[in-house]
Amino acid sequence: MRVVVADDSVILREGLVRLLREAGFDVIGQAGDAAELLAQVDAHRPDVAIVDIRMPPTHTDEGLRAARELRARHPRLGVLVLSQHVRAGYAIELLSHGTQGIGYLLKDRVSDLTELTEAVRRVGEGGSVLDPSVVGQLVKRKRTGEDPVEELTDREREVLGLMAEGRSNKAIADRLFVTEHTVEKHVQNIFAKLDLPATADDHRRVLAVLTFLNSR
Amino acid sequence: MTGGAQLTARAGPAFRFILLAAAAAAAGVVTAWVMLTNSARQATWVEVALVLAVGWSFVASGLIAWRHRPENRIGPVMVLTGFLRFVGALKWSQDLFLFTLGHALEPAYLAGVALILLAFPGGRLGNRSGRWLFAAAVLAAVVLNVAWLVLGGHNPQMCVGCPSQVMIELARMPGAAYAVEFAQYILGALVAVFSFAVLLRRWQAASPRLRSVIAPVLWVGTAVFGVLVLWVMDLLLAQRPLDTSLIHRLLRHGSAPDLLLELVVASVAFAFLLGLLRTRLAHSAVADLVIELGTTPPPGELRAALARALRDPSLVVAYWLPDARRYVDFRAQPVRLPDERDGRSVSMVERDGRRIAALMHDAALDEDPQLIESVTAAAALALENERLQAELRAHLEELAASRARLVEAAQAERQRIERDLHDGTQQRLVSIAMTLGLTESKLPADPGAAQTLLSEARAGLSEALQELRELSRGIHPAVLTERGLIDALQELIDRTQVPVALDVALPERLPGRVETAAYYFVAEALTNIAKHAQAATVSIRVAKVDGRALVQVRDDGRGGAEPKAGTGLRGLRDRVEALGGLLTVTSPPGQGTVLTAEIPCA
Repeated sequence: MRVVVADDSVILREGLVRLLREAGFDVIGQAGDAAELLAQVDAHRPDVAIVDIRMPPTHTDEGLRAARELRARHPRLGVLVLSQHVRAGYAIELLSHGTQGIGYLLKDRVSDLTELTEAVRRVGEGGSVLDPSVVGQLVKRKRTGEDPVEELTDREREVLGLMAEGRSNKAIADRLFVTEHTVEKHVQNIFAKLDLPATADDHRRVLAVLTFLNSR
Repeated sequence: MTGGAQLTARAGPAFRFILLAAAAAAAGVVTAWVMLTNSARQATWVEVALVLAVGWSFVASGLIAWRHRPENRIGPVMVLTGFLRFVGALKWSQDLFLFTLGHALEPAYLAGVALILLAFPGGRLGNRSGRWLFAAAVLAAVVLNVAWLVLGGHNPQMCVGCPSQVMIELARMPGAAYAVEFAQYILGALVAVFSFAVLLRRWQAASPRLRSVIAPVLWVGTAVFGVLVLWVMDLLLAQRPLDTSLIHRLLRHGSAPDLLLELVVASVAFAFLLGLLRTRLAHSAVADLVIELGTTPPPGELRAALARALRDPSLVVAYWLPDARRYVDFRAQPVRLPDERDGRSVSMVERDGRRIAALMHDAALDEDPQLIESVTAAAALALENERLQAELRAHLEELAASRARLVEAAQAERQRIERDLHDGTQQRLVSIAMTLGLTESKLPADPGAAQTLLSEARAGLSEALQELRELSRGIHPAVLTERGLIDALQELIDRTQVPVALDVALPERLPGRVETAAYYFVAEALTNIAKHAQAATVSIRVAKVDGRALVQVRDDGRGGAEPKAGTGLRGLRDRVEALGGLLTVTSPPGQGTVLTAEIPCA
């Protein structure tokens, strides 16, 4: 899988590149800011672009805007946005334009080689990735009035979180050491309790769950 | 304006006035007696009355003016003019000496009248043309008159009942005497015409306020010079048969032109009194002002009240802020004092020897300094009150601005720390985490490579620690709390490129916040020196004087530091002033910079 890495911090970028290469990815370009990133992607047509959210010149959300621009130019490109801080608002904003081939991951997460590899793969294959701590924040978010999330069992809440992270039923089943069938039952229950329209499509499912979690 | 000294100083003039008034009364009585007891040619009551009217009115007006405005020379000149009129009337005497004296000085008082009119109201002949006109008037009225008598100008045939000869007659040369007399008249007429023009020009140039004060005198003066011209023409015509004289024909009376002149001249004194009275009316406005100020006027109303009392709507009141060394209005907005040439004048208001305000007013008010003095004396307390309010307001505004700057600086500082943490330590730690992640995956298959990666991670960690240490010193130097200001300063100096001499004279440690402020003051000063000063040496002095910490940083660099410009110096000032301290900057270009902070320790 061919990858481009964009981060203004050199030590971080180099470390990331080394890690990705160790994991067997083909790093074909590096960029220090959004403009350079767009140029690299246009030139090399990678499968995945890994983008730091905070880059020059303003050091706020350049990466986020670059990701949107990349998606508009190259709809099949996978974009994995890296962030130093847990910021649910950014994640929702990123995923609200479509969850296919989009990821939002905390930087701490990338030191785990397996987790990084899995996230890059999933995004590259058109799946979605949402950092568990962001999902945790959303699930724990206090809602006004009656909160249907409160009605979920612990197991169902666990499944909800993994759904929000962008995992498929099979991945969830593997993670929880249960059968795929069990997961399906949990998912049906969750959709019923949260009053969401049932859908088999993973991407729509992520969006529905996120929209629900982010609402109210 | 109070105090015993002034009262005793006034006792002298009072005595002088009484003496002069008595002398004038006596002179008038003597003059009337001389005029009426001349058996050969008796004066009419009208003539006597006019001489007395002119003499007494001038002396009286002069004395009032003299007392009212001692610094103005018009008062004494008027008194002298009045006495000269009495001297001139001695021409009616049978005594040869008195007759000669009167005859010689008869027109002299006209020179006095010219001087009064030309110098009104300031009391000075303003420019060269005024001085020339007065000199010409003296020449015509005194010098040529005496010359005319010396050359035998006195003709007993034209003067029924007069002595046949004056004492100073040296020759009887009718032709020369006539020439001198003719010159006298022509010169008199010219003086009258030009003075008339001068008055007219002064009227045009006068501001509305000045016009209202000088109007009576200017108009009467115009009349005087007009009549003078007629009088001179008439005298010239009188050399011919009597009935050709225009005024003779108009008034059908022999001495009519003389009487007309006398009448108009007498009115000069009254016009002058009227001018004085108008000023007096202005002064009664001071009484209104005092009543008005009895209740504390709302902010800004004081200016309006003063403007009414001074009759100058354009009045601007500027309050003096001694600390900031600048003028502000009652809203604490800066005010610029006007230039002289703007037609504006500035009067300073002082109270107990301290400057409190400046009044910017129409230059015409300079003619009446006493009015300004009494108005400001009446309003001094109210002015001081409003000045204090303006000062307070300025302080509050400065305080709010400095507080906003402090908050801003603190905010910027936090952002800087966040950036430093984000860009430095956090990235380094993430990178170490990645190295460790890599080590983890290498460990089973390639322990050698894993060991190299571990050393790398350890080196990265010590670098991260070093960065954290520097960052936390930037937030607050630990050495300051642990070891005190001297050690902290020493550490600062150790990290400075320029050689620094440190001189500390402290009996004990300063309070914590003062130490912190002093530390940052020196740190910032050293940073500034490194950035801008190009200094070869720096000396730092820390001492405690009168319960205040004194911190001084002196360099021998290029100077020219501007306390108002640049955030560095302003930040320093804010930090020092936040503790009630004072920052002074001395930085002449090319002669180094001395920054001194005085911070109260109590």
